[in-house]
Amino acid sequence: MIETWYGVVSFLLIVYVVLDGRNFGVGMLHWLVARNPEERRQVVAAIGPLWSWHEVWLVAFGGTLLAAFPKLMASAFSGYYLALFLILWCLLLRGMALEVGGHIPDRMWQGFWDFVFVVSSFLLAVLFGAAGGNMARGVPLDADQNFSMAFFTDFGVRGNVGLLDWYTVSVALFAVVMLAAHGATYLTLKTDGPVHDRSESYAKWLWLIAVPFLLIISVETWFVRPNLSGHGFNNPFFWLGMIVIVVSGCLLFSGFLRKNEMRAFLGSTFLLAGMLATGAAAIFPVMLFSTLAPENSLTAYSVASGPGSLFMASLWWPVAFVLTGAYFIFISRRYYGKVSIKRDNQGFY
Amino acid sequence: MNSGLTDPAFWSRLQFAFTITYHYLFPQLTMGLAWFLVYWKWRALKTGEEKYNQAARFWAKIFGLNFAVGVVTGIPMEFQFGTNWADFSRYSGGVIGQTLAMEGMFAFFLESAFIGALIWGEKRLGPRAHFLAAIAVATGSWLSGYFILVTNAFMQHPVGYTVAPDGSLAIASVSAFLLNPWVIVQFAHNQTAAVVTGAFVITAVGAFYALRGLHPTQTQLYLRAGTLVGLIASLLVAFPTGDQQAKMVGDHQPVTLAAMEGKFVGGPMAGVALIGQPNVAKQRLDNPIEVPGALSFLAYGTFQSYVHGLNEYPQDTWPDNLELLYYAFHIMITLGTIFILLMGYATFEVWRGALPSNRWLLWVLMLAFPFPYIANTLGWMTAELGRQPWLIYGLFHTRDGYSKVVSNGDTIFTLIGFTGLYFVLGLLFLFLVGREISHGPDEEVVASRGEEPFL
Repeated sequence: MIETWYGVVSFLLIVYVVLDGRNFGVGMLHWLVARNPEERRQVVAAIGPLWSWHEVWLVAFGGTLLAAFPKLMASAFSGYYLALFLILWCLLLRGMALEVGGHIPDRMWQGFWDFVFVVSSFLLAVLFGAAGGNMARGVPLDADQNFSMAFFTDFGVRGNVGLLDWYTVSVALFAVVMLAAHGATYLTLKTDGPVHDRSESYAKWLWLIAVPFLLIISVETWFVRPNLSGHGFNNPFFWLGMIVIVVSGCLLFSGFLRKNEMRAFLGSTFLLAGMLATGAAAIFPVMLFSTLAPENSLTAYSVASGPGSLFMASLWWPVAFVLTGAYFIFISRRYYGKVSIKRDNQGFY
Repeated sequence: MNSGLTDPAFWSRLQFAFTITYHYLFPQLTMGLAWFLVYWKWRALKTGEEKYNQAARFWAKIFGLNFAVGVVTGIPMEFQFGTNWADFSRYSGGVIGQTLAMEGMFAFFLESAFIGALIWGEKRLGPRAHFLAAIAVATGSWLSGYFILVTNAFMQHPVGYTVAPDGSLAIASVSAFLLNPWVIVQFAHNQTAAVVTGAFVITAVGAFYALRGLHPTQTQLYLRAGTLVGLIASLLVAFPTGDQQAKMVGDHQPVTLAAMEGKFVGGPMAGVALIGQPNVAKQRLDNPIEVPGALSFLAYGTFQSYVHGLNEYPQDTWPDNLELLYYAFHIMITLGTIFILLMGYATFEVWRGALPSNRWLLWVLMLAFPFPYIANTLGWMTAELGRQPWLIYGLFHTRDGYSKVVSNGDTIFTLIGFTGLYFVLGLLFLFLVGREISHGPDEEVVASRGEEPFL
């Protein structure tokens, strides 16, 4: 039961990162791939009004985490306090930039919101990347399951760590490259004309950096948490994630080679998802590792709700999920296809 | 102690109160407008008259702006359970997390999937599917409200739970939890109050256009629908829903009822104060003018019913901000009464065809729209201040719920951040809504935005 809920919570977060991560990537590349106001509207239209639908996955993740693993949410969110609010504020600014940026056909207005969009997307990639690095490295949990972390201490990865150290900063940089590559791949699929061509060349370069970067991060992680691989090797989902990574890597590569944009995009999506899933499987059952003393770590078994609550959630959650799938089909059918300047520059987006 | 400036619980309470109050300005309008949109889309489908589509199109744009601000201000609410109220989350997450997760999974996915279709998809979907999109959005927004209110109802009147071996709460009965008698009444009261806000806003825009002589067909539509629905909803907010809500408080939180009414001394024939300022130090109402027996009758059914006084309870079980609670409750009631009178008069004027020439009344209706927002806010303040000093009534104290690891400095910093961001957000929102209103509903058959964007 607890294992299943660990899977569900991981799944929700992974879907969120895959969906909204590409928006962060699009945002970071916004000024690079779009050189005039029309092209910038085209890029924003590629995300369209779907950003709020993507953010619902984060809301669903937060609620499900509270229901299934309340003690984890309590320890982690209060410990990451300032970092988490920075994320929330950036999400707020990013949402407003997308929502109101196209409302007024005026260059100053749109230029300002484009700026907000770029900066908040970049910060979100950095912050989520650093958060991921913190999950892998661990936090200074004390015996009361609490921690409170400075932004930085001595930039080391053991003992009394800060939010930023050499490892989490490198993961944050990796997240920037990876999400930019993912966003560029999405734009390649979703746009035409000059934006498409520029996105395609950025995507190729970014993936060429991202793949070796992934290997570096893996080696670093092995150094920071030496016993992780031991956990992971015994977990079938770890190997499943590995297979997904390899297969989607091939899809991505052949997608670019054969100019099959949908294939490349699916490869990019599943590569990101596979990476996160492998990570989630590798750390299980530890959900939050203590850098002070391993016995302070929070495991899925120690932070889960009682069986009654988990059982109740198991009754309604599948129903809700099927409905969500139905809306997803509705949405993706409606927004299928490329956005182009000619058709789209008269609307809000 | 509880409101001392060095008390961490105070700052976390202030931040939650500020962010939730601000957030709820937006969903109350979307929930209030949602069924107006459904109604106009339905009329358009049945009669084929274009004016109904124009009305739906115009209000869908206002709805969309509200929805967007509601989304971005709503996400911090859920996360604050973990950031600022960690010990509360540890204790009750297994219960309240259920409904917060349900809100996301059942309601919010539905609403956000169809909102784009409602605002931009009219041509692509066709009239029938567009009507269904309006229903989906309305259902999503009201379901959202229901799940959040189940969460709140559990905090007001915990039912269907059991205490797990580790001392935290777990669900014992799903049906008891989701069909808490408290939530049935609270949902009815809260949703009709949201409709009052929607009706007042629609009426105010109608009155503005009427005074300017703009968009005559649309003006008539807004004024007729706004005033009639406003009257019905204002009546329903007071009776039976508000009445039942007060009885519920009287039955389950008698000390709260005493505090709301400033009843320091209990007894039969308890009155409702029309005028009177609570004086906690001297434990009395100053210069009270009361309707004798009214509170006994309203809360418990007869004039002779005994109403408990605050003096029957230890002072540390009283709501800790009694004065604010008292005024919040009394101003809400006063505003609610004024809404009934104002909308009653306006409906009468519409009925006899005199509203367009009654410029005084149009001015009042135009300027009245902020007051339902105030009344809604005061109603929530009554509920939440009345629940104090408990986070979960009778089970868990507010002073035990905050995050012990978060320093006052951190909370003050984020509170300042929210204040600044929300101020700018508010200006932006008013500017954009004002722009839509001054642009007005499109008079031509097809929206002037040209070809519908291909998203």
